[in-house]
Amino acid sequence: MRNSHLGGISLILWVFWLVLTAQMRQPGDPIALIYPASWPKPLYDFSKNPLTRQGIELGRRLFYDPILSRDSTISCASCHLSFTAFAHVDHTLSHGIENRIGTRNALVLSNLAWSTYFMWDGAVQHLDFQALAPIAHPLEMDFSIEQVVQRLNETKRYPARFFEAFGDSTATGATVLKALAQFELTLVSANAKYDRVKAGLASFTDQEQNGYRLFQQNCASCHAEPLFTHGSFEKNGLPLDTALNDFGRMRISQNPADGLKFKVPTLRNIEFSYPYMHDGRFRKLRDVINYYAETTALQQKIELTPNEKIDLLAFLFTLTDRDFLFNPMFGFPMD
Amino acid sequence: MHKIHRFLWSFAFLLPFLGMGQTTDNKTVIRVLPCFEQKGMVLDGPIRTASGDSLAFHTFRMYLSNVVFYNKRMAVFTEKDSHHLLDLEEPGTLDLPFSIPANLHYDEIAFDVGIDSVTHASGAMGGDLDPTKGMFWGWQGGYINIKIEGYHSKCTARKHAFQFHLGGYLPPFPTLQSVRLAVPSNPKTVQIQLDLSPFLAQIDWSQDPNVMSPCLAAKVYSKIIAQSFWIHAQ
Repeated sequence: MRNSHLGGISLILWVFWLVLTAQMRQPGDPIALIYPASWPKPLYDFSKNPLTRQGIELGRRLFYDPILSRDSTISCASCHLSFTAFAHVDHTLSHGIENRIGTRNALVLSNLAWSTYFMWDGAVQHLDFQALAPIAHPLEMDFSIEQVVQRLNETKRYPARFFEAFGDSTATGATVLKALAQFELTLVSANAKYDRVKAGLASFTDQEQNGYRLFQQNCASCHAEPLFTHGSFEKNGLPLDTALNDFGRMRISQNPADGLKFKVPTLRNIEFSYPYMHDGRFRKLRDVINYYAETTALQQKIELTPNEKIDLLAFLFTLTDRDFLFNPMFGFPMD
Repeated sequence: MHKIHRFLWSFAFLLPFLGMGQTTDNKTVIRVLPCFEQKGMVLDGPIRTASGDSLAFHTFRMYLSNVVFYNKRMAVFTEKDSHHLLDLEEPGTLDLPFSIPANLHYDEIAFDVGIDSVTHASGAMGGDLDPTKGMFWGWQGGYINIKIEGYHSKCTARKHAFQFHLGGYLPPFPTLQSVRLAVPSNPKTVQIQLDLSPFLAQIDWSQDPNVMSPCLAAKVYSKIIAQSFWIHAQ
């Protein structure tokens, strides 16, 4: 009799345990980040923000929604266009609300799970927090995360999506940022011709192969494969634009040795991410190559003949990933 | 044999709940009492300093984290996910309740002033760490550990207003400070005074004193503030 009582209590506790664990389970359908097996492990800690179908979709909607800006005119996508590798094509300096011009060219967004520094000067050290910078910047969205959260909670369309993604219909600063990060983490570019060559599925032309050799010889120390950036900061000898007085990394580290150092951007999809450099001073890729071939400001002079410049250009075009650029999952949510 | 099986299964089901009945309702409260020249601080209340200056505090907010109770130099209670935003505008936030095991003896408490680098590297978080709390630098990517704003008659900045936003967790100016205080008895409420007068005494009011980014001044001021805690006589 006593044992049967104990069994009954156990059953009740077992049901209670199941309900408890079901409530503790992360809401949403889990999604794994897909990337080539040969790549290093991502640096982003997914245990703190597991990818889910609903979280990614919410992040995509937030990314394309101008509700994040003070006057509801500018979204993340305004300066990060999917079909130009999420860079701001044709704008040397990105602009915010009311045609306010910023001080830097918008960076490409891809393979962010492998980044530890964000922005040209590395001011932000975690992807989750990156969106706070443009939201609050007076020359960009000129808003605040507090106001964004309040506005989102007043809409009819967002509470259900926050509930699906995070189990709570009330948006918070943390869930807004995590959703945006989830979408951005999915922006993996890994199917360029270069990747297919590395996987043994395609071959370089002779010109591309020679360009690859020149790349490895002259560029790869900073633009390290397979991400085509070593993720740190370098001074590439560009003279200071005295109209902007942007000293890059030094603003954050306050170390004079970091003066005019900027984050080394990825070269993936560089064919489409013009204009180039932190201030967009070069409109064409050949201008960039000409600069590096002519400058004497580098530690090691880059010597390139006219034909080698063209070969190098041909290799850089093999970093174009059309599946990434035109992936409908990365585009404006149509419904 | 069948009965033994049933008992073992029952025990296995009960196992996760065995700890739930432990007596942990021994609420101990750490109460932080911000003050100036040993008098309790009230936001916006005018203060006449000992040197005759006019002073008022409009904002006092501070992160207190990683709380540990010690007994004979051994940690006896470590709070999990220990991050508390103290805000003088919401006096309830100055009382930090801890559910510690009954009969726990402690003779010291330790905590950090600010948010550590591990937490910074953990991404966006909710609760007191939510970036909507106004204690996070969007442009810089880091928590503001201490925010003190107000008026000082000697302050040469516009409208005599001062703003000290002290934070930064990366070299060369990490501002996180550790505090460890002896507790004379085993009180239910540990009252800790934080006197801001030593900090303001260090300020050169003839210069623009405002600090709003990680820098040497933020590091120095954070250290002075961390040295200004003491246990209030019960």
